[in-house]
Amino acid sequence: MRRILIVDDAAFMRMMIKNIVVKNSYEVVGEAENGAVAYELYKELKPDVVTMDITMPEVNGIEGIKKIREFDPKAKIIVCSAMGQEAIVMEAIQAGAKDFIVKPFQQERILQALERVQARA
Amino acid sequence: MDDIQLDALRETCNIGLGHASTALAAMTGKKIDMAVPRASFLPLEEAVSLGGEPEKEVSCINMSITGDIPGLVIFMFDAPSTFMLVDMVSGLPEGTTGELDEMSKSVIRETGNILSGSFISAIGNLTGLKMYTEVPELAFDMLCATLCSALTQHNYTDDQLLLIETIIGEIDRQIKGYFFFMTSPENLEKLFKALLF
Repeated sequence: MRRILIVDDAAFMRMMIKNIVVKNSYEVVGEAENGAVAYELYKELKPDVVTMDITMPEVNGIEGIKKIREFDPKAKIIVCSAMGQEAIVMEAIQAGAKDFIVKPFQQERILQALERVQARA
Repeated sequence: MDDIQLDALRETCNIGLGHASTALAAMTGKKIDMAVPRASFLPLEEAVSLGGEPEKEVSCINMSITGDIPGLVIFMFDAPSTFMLVDMVSGLPEGTTGELDEMSKSVIRETGNILSGSFISAIGNLTGLKMYTEVPELAFDMLCATLCSALTQHNYTDDQLLLIETIIGEIDRQIKGYFFFMTSPENLEKLFKALLF
């Protein structure tokens, strides 16, 4: 079973993503509410893939991506954010995210993004 | 502010709120229509009174905007609309939610986050300006208390408010939301320049 870490400060959004992925053969190994917790959990749990929000308290998603990618350059992270501005998308990709999904998203969109990122070496 | 500037701002908000209502439709799986009956600059007291009675219970989701146009956005819904939104977004039967627990507060906060994100992203992409929303805060209390608290916290007490009264309608029920956008006169000028040139 593929192991996923879900990162979002909104409990409701974490629950929504969890409901989608669990029905599609993912195991949610951890949930984090900001980039700092995400980094600590990533080191501990080493998930196959991460979903990362951008706007979060304490440490935002961009910083979270950078920290995780410093620890593991092969980390597979897709961003799920309410902010869809080009500048933010570019920043996330440059930080190391492999895909960017704007909320609200359709179930298929996030599942396809997760499949695509894991299919890459 | 002259008529052209106000018109440009109104149209910009129309576009931004159009994106926001599209986002809301996607979240709820419903056909959402949006009408913007009123957009105007008002002093704080008048803006508060237009939202309804000062003691009326409302949910108030506010977010700082950073980047090229620092400011504050506030989405406000009256209590019945708040509960209706929770039900719609969560996929619950209408009338299920009658008070806010932690999860339903998260629903409303995240809904405000997504609506504002859609609005601000649309404006940013339209103008080329960098505008980012910060972590949303939610208050569910009397209208005057929630609005005044948000404005005071972010030091917006002297300026006039840009009030966008928005009727967000689903086919057989209406959610009435108010959208406030606050920024300094200098930043408004920057926004106009980016819109008009």
